[in-house]
Amino acid sequence: MTPARRAGIACVAAIGGVGALALLLAVFGYSPADGLLAFWRGSVGTSYALWSATLVRAIPLSLAGLGVALAIRGGRLNVGAEGQLLAGATAGALVAQLLGAVEGGTATGGGMSAALTTPIVLIAGALAGAAWASVAAWLRERFGVLEVISTIMLNFIAVHLVGALVRGVLQEPTRVYPQSATLAAAARLPVLVPTTRLHAGALLAITLAALLWWTLRYTALGFRVRVVGESAAAAASAGGIDVARVAVMSFAVSGALAGLAGAVEYAGVTYALYENLSPGYGYTAIAVALLARLNPLWVIASGVLFGALQAGGAAMQRDAGVPATLVQMIEAILIIAIVLVDRASRRRAAEAGT
Amino acid sequence: MSHNSITRRFSALCLGVLAACSSSADRNDPDAAAAPFRVALLTPGPISDQSWNGGAYAGLQRIRDSLGAQISHIQTKTPAEFEENFRQYAAQGYALVIGHGFEYQDAAKRVAPSFPKTVFVCTSGRATAPNLGGIAFAFEEAAYQAGMVAGALTKSGTLGLIGGTQLPPVVASFAAFEEGAKRERANARVLTSYIGNWDDVSAAKEQALAQLTQGADVLLQNADAAGLGVFQAVRERKGAVVFGSNANQNGVAPDVIIGSVVIDVPHALLTVARDVKQGGFAGKVYELGMRDDVVRLEFNDQLAGRIPPAVRSRVDSVGAAIRAGTFRPAASDSPVLPASAPR
Repeated sequence: MTPARRAGIACVAAIGGVGALALLLAVFGYSPADGLLAFWRGSVGTSYALWSATLVRAIPLSLAGLGVALAIRGGRLNVGAEGQLLAGATAGALVAQLLGAVEGGTATGGGMSAALTTPIVLIAGALAGAAWASVAAWLRERFGVLEVISTIMLNFIAVHLVGALVRGVLQEPTRVYPQSATLAAAARLPVLVPTTRLHAGALLAITLAALLWWTLRYTALGFRVRVVGESAAAAASAGGIDVARVAVMSFAVSGALAGLAGAVEYAGVTYALYENLSPGYGYTAIAVALLARLNPLWVIASGVLFGALQAGGAAMQRDAGVPATLVQMIEAILIIAIVLVDRASRRRAAEAGT
Repeated sequence: MSHNSITRRFSALCLGVLAACSSSADRNDPDAAAAPFRVALLTPGPISDQSWNGGAYAGLQRIRDSLGAQISHIQTKTPAEFEENFRQYAAQGYALVIGHGFEYQDAAKRVAPSFPKTVFVCTSGRATAPNLGGIAFAFEEAAYQAGMVAGALTKSGTLGLIGGTQLPPVVASFAAFEEGAKRERANARVLTSYIGNWDDVSAAKEQALAQLTQGADVLLQNADAAGLGVFQAVRERKGAVVFGSNANQNGVAPDVIIGSVVIDVPHALLTVARDVKQGGFAGKVYELGMRDDVVRLEFNDQLAGRIPPAVRSRVDSVGAAIRAGTFRPAASDSPVLPASAPR
């Protein structure tokens, strides 16, 4: 396939997407021009939207997307990123509280500096995510319970556990609202670009994407993960690989990435644990990973694209008066359209023998 | 194929979109236009709920009609979205941004100092600053009256309460309902269920059916959109009645809704918006209850005949006492509500 051909397909996809969006808006009686303009301005069309809305959403989407991609590479479908993300945010809030790094907190944990608190919060989040995922991995290895089922169940448990904790031991000091105490300003992830909301979690996501890409591509460990994912039987017989060990490990790391997404969202955006901390980032992360074809570097781009979709959708509500339900429908239809174009172009490329 | 093709396709796609749209984006900058009075509303749920969120949207429309404001609404779910949208609206020069629920106040507290020209108001919020205020609804005053009616009407002696999540105002209103019920029937048993969200209609219906099965024959729902499931459940059981919440829901299921504990949210929002427009807003908590005609119990005329006149007059006299300031349900001073400012 020539570059010109590819550019042609991309243009068709872009025009098709905008056309579909305009058509949907028109069908439901809203001005396509207003809707598209709002979508544009609210996603990437203004510097505020780009730095403070789209990229801020891209951070948890990318981190959790990396986790989902790694699990699939290792031959396991992790649909539990949402629960692992919540486990990570919860562990972050718990550790911050124990260290006294919350507003109105008693001591600063024996003079522990903020520079040390933030990494501890993030590490705790990653460990909690890994632990939450390991429950599913263990159930699979020990009892043969499919992780597709167990991780979904663990998602529900995580949601309700957060609900119980923010009304119990983690509730804020006045004991009125179902949320945790607010993270002390010094322990928050720093803002990268002044006057925006973009925080240091973005650097973390990019670094980890590069690290994961390099590991999968160039290390023996990454090779084992890929082989187990491609064919567990071949890996065991021809490669002499301990399949169970590799699968459990990659699943746990997958959970760690999703847990980190939660801790980063806590330390970088919400500064407190809430029941509705995540608008389903862990579920959207599955689409993020698949659209990126499980390539860690492309997960970042895919995360930005989904972040832009959500931010643009919000702007359509805000500035063009399009109701939330229609916006959610449009988002879903656009995702299906993107995946369709992706599949179709791959098939044509295969037919052309490239 | 594989990674390489998707790479190029993405970059070309992004470039194409950029080229197609950048020209239009530069054109009309809303900040450049003359400054009309603009009011925005953030709701935590769908405005089709005929309850908490629908009432707020009706208030927004009334602000538009009465004060000539330009309005905008957005439904938001997560704390991250709250802050993002507060900032977006303020940056666009909105004079008043209303977050419809206590959960908005942390985000409002963070954003308000950066946008001194915009007033932020959180319903059920207690946080204040020069450009940040709250509206406290004394919902429990009318919930107390509803409890009295329920206590008088129940045959089984068992009452049911169904809430969305355990928010402080909901907990206080349920406590007031129980208090009112026990005033009429000292041994009344009250079942309470929280469904954990505000939009799962079938979960609400299930909880209601469970309570009805346990003998509850008068219910109160405070679950917004999910509450519609409670009405469905009561319809399926003969003899039981239910109270609606937040908006006047009597018309939603007139065969089973005996009355509604109404918060006149439109009236409340208009009151605040008028202050903001006239420059009279002083960062405070607006305490609005029965006395301000913002909270009241409204009966459904079709079913109100079932209430004995003696009960009705006792309920009315409690209402008069609350309005006169001589009576207050204990739940109004419940520890789950932050201390109320003197009224």
